Amino acid sequence: MRAGLGVRLFACLIALLFVTPTLIVAATSVTSGSMVTFPPKGFSLRWFQEVLTDPEWLTALGNSAQVGLLAAVLAMAAGTSLAFAAARSRFLPPALVTGLAVLPMTVPLVVAGIGFYLVYIRVGLSGNVLSLGIAHAVLGLPFVFVNVLAALTGVDRRVEEAARVSGATEAVTLLRITLPLVAPAALVGGVLAFVSSWDEVVVALFLNTPQFRTLPVVMWSQVRSGVEPSISAVATLITLVSLLMAALVLVGPAVVKKVRRRT
Amino acid sequence: MSALSQIPSRASSPGPQAGPEAGSAVRAGHGAGPGEGPARARRFPRPDFWSGAGLPGLVFVVAAFVVPMAVVVVKSLTDPSPANYTAIFTSSVYQRSVVDTLQMALVVTVLCLLIGYPYAYAMARSGTAMRTFLMVALMLAFWTSLLVRTYAWQIVLNDTGLVNTALRDWLGLTSAPIHMIRTPFAVYVGMVHILLPYAVLALFAQLRSIDPDVERAAQVMGARPWRVFARVTLPLSLPGAVAGGVLVFVLALGFYITPQLLGGARQVYVGQAIMQQIEQFLKPGVGAAMAVLLFVAVLAVLGLAARFVGLGRILGVGMGRRR
Repeated sequence: MRAGLGVRLFACLIALLFVTPTLIVAATSVTSGSMVTFPPKGFSLRWFQEVLTDPEWLTALGNSAQVGLLAAVLAMAAGTSLAFAAARSRFLPPALVTGLAVLPMTVPLVVAGIGFYLVYIRVGLSGNVLSLGIAHAVLGLPFVFVNVLAALTGVDRRVEEAARVSGATEAVTLLRITLPLVAPAALVGGVLAFVSSWDEVVVALFLNTPQFRTLPVVMWSQVRSGVEPSISAVATLITLVSLLMAALVLVGPAVVKKVRRRT
Repeated sequence: MSALSQIPSRASSPGPQAGPEAGSAVRAGHGAGPGEGPARARRFPRPDFWSGAGLPGLVFVVAAFVVPMAVVVVKSLTDPSPANYTAIFTSSVYQRSVVDTLQMALVVTVLCLLIGYPYAYAMARSGTAMRTFLMVALMLAFWTSLLVRTYAWQIVLNDTGLVNTALRDWLGLTSAPIHMIRTPFAVYVGMVHILLPYAVLALFAQLRSIDPDVERAAQVMGARPWRVFARVTLPLSLPGAVAGGVLVFVLALGFYITPQLLGGARQVYVGQAIMQQIEQFLKPGVGAAMAVLLFVAVLAVLGLAARFVGLGRILGVGMGRRR
């Protein structure tokens, strides 16, 4: 049954409300004036220039990128490993492994933040890429786990058996056959882990020090004192990276499949 | 959409319980004939190769996540004492905070479902162009950072913001700014905007799964469109509403950033109260106790809802996006 005209008009209105805030932020970042006004006064990229030459923002940008990459790599390793155990182990109860791997998805960030804060500081892990990278890897690993697990159920076991029959050990089969087969799924999960780290604020607030702050943490500290075109510029940069990554994950696999089918 | 629902209860191949040490390399790992695996191994499973492959992940998640969570529980009981919990339950300040939070989460959930339903319906029951437009708009919002979107609402709802400028300078309707920022109203606007996509995605997935023939049958039998909707479509879409509503509700319970920026000082929601205990009052024990209660509440709601719609469906809605 087709949706009625009223319903469709209402949906379009909400769709506009969905995108307007993001567009407003982008618009206020390209103003040539020195205040956030709407409509913006003239067009200039001066605020992007200012942000990208300011050492504070640049350091934060570097920190965010490093933390995101570390989180993605760790999440890919741990999530894939857990997915293997959940799907294949006859020793570990799958419900236990799955529960452990999915639990970080359910924890409120404030709660996770306190835990990381209490423990990581005690073991000398605070205010650096490693501590926040590990924390964000924990939060991102469910995405890797879920994707790899789904991919594993689609793996043709006969391919692995063929390797075993040909004399490969279990370890070699895992490295040369199974891992490459689930690698794309792990990569998708890794990108998701990167994005969730890239714009995460709460846990980053718990683990930040004046010397070590990520982009969202610096943005947070400035946002609390008001709105500025430079914050809009940073917000736009953060959003562009997130959207690019999302497009990579949402559209990428379909494109790859299409190209492969053609060749 | 929800890869989580594909979580298998156990590997499908009924192979023998052969560890690396039991039998030749070729035999282990695939479905061999009966009697080949030792019976005692079947009764008492021993660590096998795949448990070893899972070990690094298990060690990581236990050390980096389970231990910190356990430390929060210990902290809540020992810093200074379990009285942290009685303080939460007896102090009127905390009680107020809990009531405010529950009320806020409930209102946000209801609003998300009421607004999200027609949106999801339009997405599920329209042509490709319309569906693509609605999906792109949804995704654009969904993947914009929570902090950025909260900041955007700050720009819009400020005393000198977009809405007030429009009302005063362009339309001439008001002379003094309408105070919207730092009120519960602003929090509701921001939170509904941020959480609405979860409700829409859950409802959309459910609506798409309804067999069109069922609705057609009702129509053929003479039911008018609204009756088809009320008696067929709506009941069949309820699991999606439950999944989306529960997810929105538990996410809303722990929000910190949005209420902190858009809300006033009068409403202190649980997420903010926890931060306050740690940052301002330097009482990590009380903060930890509140955190434990919050996590338990979230798990209880999820566990309860999982009995009706399945945990995979609820958590799968997130599509890899967390708040």
